[in-house]
Amino acid sequence: MIVRPARCIALAGSAVLVLGVLAGCSKPGSSNTASTGSSTGPIKIAVVDAQSGQDSSLGQWEYDGAKLAVSQWNAKGGIDGRQIQLTVFDDKADPTTGTDIASKLASEGFVAMIGTAESGVTAAMEPTLEAAKIPNITSGQSPALTKSGDPYVFLNGPTSVTYDSTLAAYLTGTLHDTKIAMITNNGAYGAGEQSSFLAQLTADGLKPTSNQVVTTTQTDFSSALTAIKQSNPQVVFIGSEEVEAGLIVKQARSLGITVPFAGGAPQGTPVFIDTAGTANVEGTIVSSPYLSNDTSAASKAFAAAYQGAYGSAAELHGAKAYDGTEILLTALKTSGLATGLKLADAIRATQYDGLLGDFRYDKTGVGIFKTSIGIVKNGSLVAVG
Amino acid sequence: MQVFLQTIVGGLNLGAVYALVALGFALVYRTMGLVNFAHADVLMIGAYIAATFTVSQHLPFAVAVLASIVITGVIGLFIERFLRPLEGRDFDLMLIGTIGFGIVLESVATLIWGATGEAVPSPVQTRPLVVFGASVPTYDLVVMGVAVVAMLALSLFLERTRRGVAMQAVAMDYDAAKAVGINVGRSNAIAFAIGAGLAALAGALVGPELYVSPTMGGSIGIDGFAAAILGGFGSIPGAVVGALAVGLLNSFSADYFQGYADLATFVLFAVIVMIKPTGLFGEKTVLRA
Amino acid sequence: MNPTLNPLLRRYRAPAGYLLLAVLAYLLPYQLGSYDMHVLDTAFVFGILAIGLGIVMGIAGQINLAQITLMGVGAYTTAVLTTQENYGFWVAAILAVLASGLVGLIIGVPALRVQSHYLGIVTLGLSLAFTDWVTTSTLAGSGSGISGIPVPPLGGIDLSDDYLYYYLELVVFVLSLAFGLFVVRTRLGRRMRAMRDDPLAAGSGGARIPVLRMTAFLLAGLYGGVAGVLYAGLIRFVAPETFSTADMFLLLAMVVIGGRQSLWGCVIGALALSVVQDELTDLSTYAQLGYGIVVVITAVVAPTGLAGLPGRIRPLIRRQREQPALAPFQPYPATAAARETATGRELLRLDAVTMRFKGLTALREVSLSVGAGEIRGIVGPNGSGKTTLFNVISGLYQASQGTVSFADRHVHNLRPYRLSDLGLSRTFQNLRLFRELTVREHVMVGLDRTRPGWAWRYAIWPVGVWRAERRLGAQADELLDRYGLAGFAKATPYALPYGIQRRVELARAMAGEPRLLLLDEPAAGLNATEKAQLVEIVRSIRDHGTTVIIIEHDMGLVMSLCGKVTVLAAGQVIAEGAPADVAANPSVIEAYLGRAAAPRQTDAAEPAPSKTKEPTV
Repeated sequence: MIVRPARCIALAGSAVLVLGVLAGCSKPGSSNTASTGSSTGPIKIAVVDAQSGQDSSLGQWEYDGAKLAVSQWNAKGGIDGRQIQLTVFDDKADPTTGTDIASKLASEGFVAMIGTAESGVTAAMEPTLEAAKIPNITSGQSPALTKSGDPYVFLNGPTSVTYDSTLAAYLTGTLHDTKIAMITNNGAYGAGEQSSFLAQLTADGLKPTSNQVVTTTQTDFSSALTAIKQSNPQVVFIGSEEVEAGLIVKQARSLGITVPFAGGAPQGTPVFIDTAGTANVEGTIVSSPYLSNDTSAASKAFAAAYQGAYGSAAELHGAKAYDGTEILLTALKTSGLATGLKLADAIRATQYDGLLGDFRYDKTGVGIFKTSIGIVKNGSLVAVG
Repeated sequence: MQVFLQTIVGGLNLGAVYALVALGFALVYRTMGLVNFAHADVLMIGAYIAATFTVSQHLPFAVAVLASIVITGVIGLFIERFLRPLEGRDFDLMLIGTIGFGIVLESVATLIWGATGEAVPSPVQTRPLVVFGASVPTYDLVVMGVAVVAMLALSLFLERTRRGVAMQAVAMDYDAAKAVGINVGRSNAIAFAIGAGLAALAGALVGPELYVSPTMGGSIGIDGFAAAILGGFGSIPGAVVGALAVGLLNSFSADYFQGYADLATFVLFAVIVMIKPTGLFGEKTVLRA
Repeated sequence: MNPTLNPLLRRYRAPAGYLLLAVLAYLLPYQLGSYDMHVLDTAFVFGILAIGLGIVMGIAGQINLAQITLMGVGAYTTAVLTTQENYGFWVAAILAVLASGLVGLIIGVPALRVQSHYLGIVTLGLSLAFTDWVTTSTLAGSGSGISGIPVPPLGGIDLSDDYLYYYLELVVFVLSLAFGLFVVRTRLGRRMRAMRDDPLAAGSGGARIPVLRMTAFLLAGLYGGVAGVLYAGLIRFVAPETFSTADMFLLLAMVVIGGRQSLWGCVIGALALSVVQDELTDLSTYAQLGYGIVVVITAVVAPTGLAGLPGRIRPLIRRQREQPALAPFQPYPATAAARETATGRELLRLDAVTMRFKGLTALREVSLSVGAGEIRGIVGPNGSGKTTLFNVISGLYQASQGTVSFADRHVHNLRPYRLSDLGLSRTFQNLRLFRELTVREHVMVGLDRTRPGWAWRYAIWPVGVWRAERRLGAQADELLDRYGLAGFAKATPYALPYGIQRRVELARAMAGEPRLLLLDEPAAGLNATEKAQLVEIVRSIRDHGTTVIIIEHDMGLVMSLCGKVTVLAAGQVIAEGAPADVAANPSVIEAYLGRAAAPRQTDAAEPAPSKTKEPTV
């Protein structure tokens, strides 16, 4: 049979028009607005992170940290007698999936969200979460997140500017290094590190001896590292995620680069240390708000509970998520289970002394403004001085 | 000068790994006409098996590599059973079918070993050699040596043994080979198993150089495939030469173009393929436009 | 189904179906929560993208692993122009679609030189190159992407609302699908499908293969651009990860599961898989495993995808219908022009043509002159170079030495489609029919004499395309009647008996009313009745004004049909003349049978040359 598309389309089109006129007054979706914060049943909180793919280890740590905080609160009876229900969503580190999940949170009555660990995914979710008035506490550290003016976004740690200014101050001020080389990758994290660390150096009147950019998929760093070696630095700043940074350090050592490396949070993680090899990372300088599990009584208690619950050692990302979740739950409690903007304001007002430091939120959603310097010794991170 | 030399060393080392990957692609393609996009995921499985043996079982590295080759080869026999209906089919189907199988392997690896991945310590701890101011890590030499041996062994096998010659016959004329009594099914299964063994060898060797995780196959697979294409798809010496070319292309574009390295690599690659569509060692059988 | 049951129902079944779909699509949002609505909005973006991939891969047969990148170009162009250059959304959108079309053309350039897995890896590489560029370039917001893309303004309708955005998408989607189907079912798409099934035969029938390939990539780019603009308006954020290889493979899976060769299949696959994928976000590893298994099983068990299932099931449930018989050929009316051309003016001339392949000389200084109105026979033992001669004449090979002229024109280096335009047509020794085209479509491909420039009508005046299509259809039906094929109009050729397949190829070759027809062993595999019919048809073709050169092993047929016979042996002309004289020529007998033997026994097909490499277009 020969179908005549032209006629069919005309018919279908006119049908839509007629229906449009008939139903023109009511628009779909207006009847089922999200019922955030029903007053009975459990309190619904979402964890959104990569649970599959390359960033899934980050996602797992975050989920574990948040889960620990929630189970402790629930064991003490929840908030106002209501239990807290934590649901995890896999964003696959993909912004499009992130927006789908944001809509899901909005339509299923989640009061708040923990995550994500990727600034890009959080940036993609922001418009939807803002429209649905869902406060979210992210582990992202991109300064871009603080510039949107969105009252619902909070960081559970410092921005990369803080990491890098502390590190630069230590390198140039305390160690009096003047010859600093840089190697960063071109991904979201690496590019952010590159610009903020370079800005700090420039402010100190320094120029990197060599400024190398690699791609996120690169596995051979010969040329970049040789260029760095020839520039004869006193320290090499590294702005890349755990695995790639580990490979860079490993290859650097085999090329005869003996000076220490310096970097942010990823350079304190076991994945980085294992990938590079313990001997190779000895002396690596790390800027981190959470150096080890033994810095304070609170961190010891957290680490013990974490070990008990999951059988593995706690680290920065778990601690960040734990702090973020604690802040959220405290705000829920003090505000009497408020939702929306009221909850966001309550989070902003919460003063919380946590694992990463004393949280005092400002307008931009940042609560921590300093990091500490640690050094890798015998495969673990030790605080300096 | 030193950067230049070091870049060459880095490129050759990458090339050695790509060569092992490309050999597997080439062998499977020339003997059974299958373009196997799951090859890199077989490599990942091989890397995981070797890593498990060295890290958890504390076996010597060489033993772990051999064990990985054998086990992965056997797994290859099973995979071939699944993919058999795709052999010689049109390319779209092979493409999506083998990619689908790769996804299956990736998920299975995630279920067995978790998504986090594993770092494998370097099995050779001696200091790097220094040649004209460029340092050559000893482990890199091991990888290059193994790649050369693998290529020679594969060529000898295909040219000099009964089984190898039979495989070539199947590749050249399926019906005729069948008519003279060659068991085509078994021949293909063995070819696939050898291909899987080569992938396992590559995976086991890159383990200590990279980081073993379920998604590690992605970029190695693409570069290895590009190497096989550049050499002339299906050619054994072509796979090795193409791999060295792709390795050097990668490391030199990283040198000159930094963050834009992938952009430069793949645009150049496209241009080369257009200039020489049959590759360096390719046969003239490619149906040109 | 009984066709006489209710003609009214039959006539209005399709429009009613579309009407029902439209009503459902209109009412759907009223039934959905906001999350499902958003998922559906995302799915529509992928649906449009999948149409583009369906056209380039399923219809034109070009592997394109950069389809997701084309969407990326659209989305990124929109993002950069709106956020950094302060263009309005819709102006940016138009520029974005054009940019995607341009990038589609660039990505398609390698298709002019390579195909299959070579093309696959090159396009995949180019897509990685794009990802690298947007990741590194500050113009494209580096690794962190571009946020703050404005909501598309539309006369006071708030498109930040997913429900209202759905209707915008629905309109664009329906238009995109309708245009796609229109292209596929009319001559541009028909030529693309012919090219997909057999580029050689399509080229010899006048299709410009390079132009068609670029057109396919252009369309893929434009669809990618539209999808990208809608993505930018919906998500209002772009980042490099969105256009990743994993997403490309997902898109590929959508198209293959849905059915590559049907745009409906592509669309259904895309909508279904995006929705399923999103519903399963909570159990990702197992979902991933299941998705992999489904993809493998589809590729192995149902290569035509969901869209192909009805076609595979129908023969199982429907009783085998009586195969219609081949109707008799209705001779062409002899024309005055034909009588005029039969004056014996020289139509084809070869001067000392030599054809060498690596170390092998297939033709050695062959000279030949064929007059208008002749039926010339070419005979010779296996491997004597007869098919090579045809390939040189029809432009598939370029002679190493010597010249070829056709109708007083040097045609030495002309491509097959140019020769086809000049009035040269041929059939192939091992039948080259289009696997997925119906018999009627074969004839329409042969009838279609339009040049590439004609395709602009698709953009500017589709009604004209539609009218031309109906004229073409009427001509095709006339031709099918003439060749007795009307009963098989809707069948695909390879399901038909061999004799009918031969007839189909002949009808396709004659559809363009060529001046010279080359028949390569047209009687091979035919029974005695069919051979007799063939003789009648060839005579009528000649009387209609078409000169015929025929390669044939059946000496009886050659004797009865040809006025003059040329004998080739080992690449050289060893005799020429009236059939009876040639048959008595001692060197001919020797060439055929070695020394001393009886002159018959050469009916077998010619296996040796068929093993030679495929010629290039």
